[in-house]
Amino acid sequence: MSKKVLVVDDDPDVRSFVVTVLEENQYIPLIAQDGVEGLEKIEKEKPDLVILDVLMPRGSGIRLYHHLKSHEQFKALPIIMFTGIALRSFLKSQKVLDEFQGAEVPKPDIYLEKPVDPEVLAAAVRKKLG
Amino acid sequence: MSAFKILIVDDEELIVRLLSMSLRSDGYQTVSAFSGEQGLEVFKSESPDIVVTDIKMPGMDGLELLKKIKEIDPEKEVIIVTGHGDIDSTITALQYGASDFINKPVRDAALAIALERAKSKIAIRKKLEEYTTTLEIKIAEATEEIRRKSNFQRLLITSSNDAIVAFDRDWKVVVYNPEAARLFGEAAKDVRNKMTIDDLYTPKIAKGFKNQVKDEKDQRNFPWKEQVIHTKDGRQIPVRYASNVLFENNEFVGTVNFFQDLTEIKRLEKELVQSERLAAVGQTVSGLAHYVKNILIGLKGGSYIVDVGIQNNNTEKLKSGWETIKKNIKRIGDLTQDLLTYSKQREPEMELCSPHDIINELVELLKGFAASKNVLLSKDLDKSIDQVMADPKTIHHALLNIINNAIDACIEDEDITKKHEVKILTHIDKNHMICFEVADNGCGMDEDTRNKLFTPMFSSKGGKGTGLGLLVTGKLIEEHKGIIEIETSPGVGSTFRVKLPYTKAKPVDGN
Repeated sequence: MSKKVLVVDDDPDVRSFVVTVLEENQYIPLIAQDGVEGLEKIEKEKPDLVILDVLMPRGSGIRLYHHLKSHEQFKALPIIMFTGIALRSFLKSQKVLDEFQGAEVPKPDIYLEKPVDPEVLAAAVRKKLG
Repeated sequence: MSAFKILIVDDEELIVRLLSMSLRSDGYQTVSAFSGEQGLEVFKSESPDIVVTDIKMPGMDGLELLKKIKEIDPEKEVIIVTGHGDIDSTITALQYGASDFINKPVRDAALAIALERAKSKIAIRKKLEEYTTTLEIKIAEATEEIRRKSNFQRLLITSSNDAIVAFDRDWKVVVYNPEAARLFGEAAKDVRNKMTIDDLYTPKIAKGFKNQVKDEKDQRNFPWKEQVIHTKDGRQIPVRYASNVLFENNEFVGTVNFFQDLTEIKRLEKELVQSERLAAVGQTVSGLAHYVKNILIGLKGGSYIVDVGIQNNNTEKLKSGWETIKKNIKRIGDLTQDLLTYSKQREPEMELCSPHDIINELVELLKGFAASKNVLLSKDLDKSIDQVMADPKTIHHALLNIINNAIDACIEDEDITKKHEVKILTHIDKNHMICFEVADNGCGMDEDTRNKLFTPMFSSKGGKGTGLGLLVTGKLIEEHKGIIEIETSPGVGSTFRVKLPYTKAKPVDGN
């Protein structure tokens, strides 16, 4: 059975791009417009992978990533960071949250900086889901 | 002091010998001569302290000797021995400066008294001499001290980096140091003791200083002020200046002014502004690159979707990809327009227009979008405002930008329990400006964001803002002689007020 991939991004252009890439590679795309909706969808739809933007209104990717990685029930959920923000800035923000929330989270193992070719994105998804 | 040496002159040897004996026994040292000529010789060789001479002698007599001695040393004590009742000689001797007279025959007691008198005169003279010398030394020392002190003070004034100019009570220049000469471009010799305050300063500065003297005492210290002065040789120098009124025993004696040349400081300030501008350009370029990258992401994504649509013969995909591409082409268009508007100076095109028509149009345009984001768009317009002279493009652009920002601020707000609303109000304020107010209850701004609002390419909207919107708006409003005011509080919302001059009728311009 096809695997479900949740795209969390506030930019509709990015969403439709990622959705198309996923469809072309036989995955079932789910979408959320911001961090809050993202978490709702994760809890409800139980996706196999999340493709997460960083800068979004209402519960940014920074916060959602930290939340998922510091809660037992979500820890195993694979995440691909997909963003225009440099990795360095993202890691810095995670460190601040580590200290603030007293929980240390691992670095994202796949961090893609936009723009990304569809093949690269597809390869990253395949690597995570097989 | 060694014993007094007394010269005794008499042509009668016996008298000389007797007197010598008597004086020696009184502790004096004596030398003798038996004629006027010899007396003069001995006087020259022995330098006696006191001379006792007989008046009547063959050859050079006592008067002649007295005259010669006085020519050599006018201060010398000469006692004349006269015959009884020889008034004429006595008067002559007095005229020649004899110290004392004793009558013949010489009695020891009379001589002793005369000698004591001479001695005390010598002593007094000596003391006087000593005093005079001491006084002279003291005066010399004091003079030197004063000279040193005044020299020091002069150097102090001369070497000051501030221009120092002082006036006496008649406003005549009395102090004018080299820095002042450099600053004002007038040589010290033409100014000091020649010019008055009105000759040297511009009327404004001169008046300021003069008024200061009239002020109450506690306000006599002049605060530092800044002004550009025009020198006689045509330079314009920015200066900072201050003044003090001088009093002596509560009486006005003059004023002293201090000027600091700010040319260098102004130059550095200008350089700082320049470098800040360069930094802003750097920020602009990186912000612009970021925004262009986002457009590129959109275009790439869109063209991929179109590719997929063509490949799969999927009209939905084709449509969606094409929409994305069109949207990003529009973003490039808007960006180009903003950049052009920002970089070019533009005169507002004033015409008779209705601000409320513009607002109604904008509300119509944005209502749907706002509603889709659960934001209520409302308006409360001052009915007294009708047609005004203004540039409708400026009003349209500014309000569109600000209302869009307000809607964005509501969308960004993390508090989803709020009923989000954007209110548009108009009224005429007390300064006779037409005021457009756009108030939202969205996320608001912290101080940092607030301060960066008009920084080129600053955007709090991630990649979705050009960072030019408010900048362009601000510029258009400024060109329209208007102002923009912002009130904001994080989590509560923001209010933007655009105020433009309220001109009802078309101005008469001959057309």
